[in-house]
Formats: sequence, structure tokens, C-alpha cells
Amino acid sequence: MRNEKKRYAMLIDLRKCIGCNACTVACKSENNVPLGVWRSWVKKVEKGRYPDSQEFFLPIVCNNCEKPICVTVCPVNASIKRPDGIVYIDPHRCIGCRYCMAACPYGVRYVHPTMKIVEKCSWCHHRVDAGLKPACVLACPTGAILFGDMNETQSEIARAIAKNPVQVIKPEIGTSPHTFYIALDSATVEAKQGEEE
Amino acid sequence: MDTQVLYNIVHQGAFGLNIAIYFYLTGLSAGSFILSTLAYGFGMKQFKPIGRVGIILATLLLIIAPFFLLIHIGMPFRAWHLFVYLNWSSPITWGSFLLLLYPINCIVYGYFMFKENLRLTRVFALIGIPLAVSVHGYTGFILAFGKARPLWNTALMPLLFLVSAVVSGIALMIIVYMIKSRFFSREKKINRELVFSLSKLLAWVIVFDLFLVGCDLIVLSISHSDAQAVAHLILQGKYSLMFLLIENFLGKIVPFFLLVVPRFRTLTTVTVASILVVIGIFFMRYVVVVAGEFLPLL
Repeated sequence: MRNEKKRYAMLIDLRKCIGCNACTVACKSENNVPLGVWRSWVKKVEKGRYPDSQEFFLPIVCNNCEKPICVTVCPVNASIKRPDGIVYIDPHRCIGCRYCMAACPYGVRYVHPTMKIVEKCSWCHHRVDAGLKPACVLACPTGAILFGDMNETQSEIARAIAKNPVQVIKPEIGTSPHTFYIALDSATVEAKQGEEE
Repeated sequence: MDTQVLYNIVHQGAFGLNIAIYFYLTGLSAGSFILSTLAYGFGMKQFKPIGRVGIILATLLLIIAPFFLLIHIGMPFRAWHLFVYLNWSSPITWGSFLLLLYPINCIVYGYFMFKENLRLTRVFALIGIPLAVSVHGYTGFILAFGKARPLWNTALMPLLFLVSAVVSGIALMIIVYMIKSRFFSREKKINRELVFSLSKLLAWVIVFDLFLVGCDLIVLSISHSDAQAVAHLILQGKYSLMFLLIENFLGKIVPFFLLVVPRFRTLTTVTVASILVVIGIFFMRYVVVVAGEFLPLL
């Protein structure tokens, strides 16, 4: 069944990720992200005990959920989900109440240190509107990140999602995330800072 | 299997002390209001002396409370957006109207009470009860909508908040009433019967509160892994001292026995118990808000 509606999605192939943080740097530079906060980052987890251990990388961006809880709880409609699926924050509307930060299950939102409003990754929607790819997609040296319209059957991302087993982070929350991962490792997602088992 | 996080980003917490204080103040206000309606709304004559104290407390506390919200939000001069750009699925939108209507109703109700217009006082008492319940109940929904935080995301949260609001409201009322009648009334005498009937009421509401907290904990500790982690945090981790010792032992169990055991029934023990309860509920708000968002999500 062909779906005429656009639905942007991102697919991160963790088999290709080398943990170089080029996406983090590109994102910081593209979006003028201030010191001390990040719109995207790479979580690094070491599994096993050295020398029988392996580092695992998990690049994290906003999931631009299909049922975003941030949009549900924003009292002033500053968090907006566009018809093409991108969830962004209107910087002129946001009052900085941080309710979206409290409700977001992925912790991808931060308060801008000087503007005191909440910001987050929006898949570089200003670039997408200009027909460009998000900054992290272009920066990735191994091509691990794909971005595009997943409803367009011939697009690279639609084919990749169709042909590979894909997972999302925390599917049980019920927000229906649209940042998909290939070879997502549950131990990497669940590992918490300062906690050793 | 050993897993160790080498690098991760955890952004600053969303809520904090200001929100905990705000919840505490609205709770005290709603509790005081409900107590003042016992006499003026439902005609329980024995509670008449606390009617006026109750409405003054309720109004004052609810006028102070929103300032903590204004301190908390990053852009206080944009607070008018709350009344213009409405999102009815957000509890904060419900709250911004409740925070407008409830104090107005409090003032009108208080005005008629002091004018001795009992019929209109009763009308505004009955309008005020749903408003008081929602002005505090909605704060429970604020937390309950935090999907990924197991300590918040429970249907018990609004009820838990309301019950603890009544607990803290009664305790504050006992303290304020005793101070008022001891030092600022003509007779300089405390109505012991009234204090003891309030303290009996307080004791049984504390039991209900403990029951709800117990239900919440039992389900948390067998639920999914994040829920178990937060149960561990408040029972054995960083917040265990606040949660177990201050909030539940000193703030609920000790006052309960001080209030119900007949041997202890003096004005001093009632005062001590009420002070413990008022402090204990503050820590309840603090633990719920701060411990709830303490654990990293990813």
C-alpha cells in the first residue's frame, strides 16, 4: 500500500559506527549548540572485562516520535509535530517550563544556558526544508546514518528499513520513535552511568 | 556481564526544589480550604472556629505558590503564552486556569464569610471544593504524565498528592489555630475539643496516606527494571534517609502514634506531631520530585 504522506525517519547502522563523534561535532557547529549541552552525542559502553571486552557506540538524536509525549505536555504548543513527522521547538513560543524535559523518555532536551528556553535535535529541519540532509548524516565518515522519507518506497532509507531488522530505543514507552537502529544492543541502551553489575 | 558506561550525556534535571515547594504550597492551600469548608460548606458546627483561619491560609499560600513557578520557568515574561496558546492535553494548561480561578474563588468565599453571609459562603464553599481538589490534583497529573519516570507515572499520583495535601493541611491548621488562639484571641484559650477532633482526623488520614505510599512501593519494586531501580533509590539509595526516616517514620508513623495513643493526648504532643507532619510532607514533595527524575534515562 502506497502512502502519499511524507514521513521522515533516520536509520543508524550501529555495525558501521566507529564512535568518532563527527556527528556530535557537526551538530554542535550547525545548530550553534552552547557549551555544556548536546543535541546529539555518542554514548559509549564497554561490555565484558578487558581484554575480552568490546566498546559499543550508540549515537543518540531526538527520536522525532510518532506519538511525542513532549507535544502532548507542552502547555503553550511550543513543541510541534509537523505533518512530515519532524518534532521541533518554536523558540519564540517556548516559556522554558521544562515540562517536556521531564516527560521526554530519552533525555534529549536541554535548557539553553543563556536563552533559558528548551532546545533539542529536530533532524536539522531548516536544512531538510532547504532540500539538504541533516548535518550529522553528511558528517558521518562511514555512512552509518541514513535520513529520508520512509514512505517513499524507492528511497534509500525505506529500502534499508525494509530489508534489515531494525529496533528503536525504549519501544515499551509507546511513543513510537522514528530514529531506527540496526544492531541495537539492549545492554548498551540500559547501561547507566556509575553503575556496574 | 560487566557493562560500563565510558561516555554519556545526562542533561540537567527538569524540575527541582522550586517545583517541590510549589507542590507543597498548593497542597497546604487545598488542604486548608477543604478544612474551612467543613464548617461553612457542610455545616459541621464544631469546626467553625477554623473556617476563617483556613480561608486566610488557603488564599495566602495560593498567592505565594505561583511565584515559585515564575522563578522556575526560564522566560517568566512569556508567562502570558500560557493563556493564549492553549494545549488542552497539557496539565500545565489546566493548571494555569485553575491557578487563576481558585484564588479568586477563595477571596470571594472569604469575603462572604467575613461579612457573615452564610448562604453565599456556602455556595462558594461548594464551588471551591472541586476547584481546590483540581488545583492540587492537577499537579499530580503533571508528574503522572512523565511517562519515563516510574516514580511519577502512576495513576495513584493525583490521589497520593490529594491525600498528602489534606494531611499537611490539617497539621498546619492545628499549628496555626493553636498559635492564633493562644496568643492572638481575646480569651487566650485553646479549644481542646476542636484540636483533639482535628488530631483524630489527622491520624486517620495519615493511615490512608501510608496505605497509598505502601501500595505504590509494592508495585514499584516488582515492576519493570526502571521502576525497580527507583524503588531501590528511595529504599536503599541516596534518598532512603529522606524517604524512610524523615518522610515516613518521623513524618507519618511517629505522629500517628503521638496522636492516637490516649496516654500521649496533650496539646504539646499534638503540636509536636503536627510540626513533624508538616516537615514530613515537605520531604515527601521533595523526594517525589527530585528522586523521581534523579536516575538517568539512557
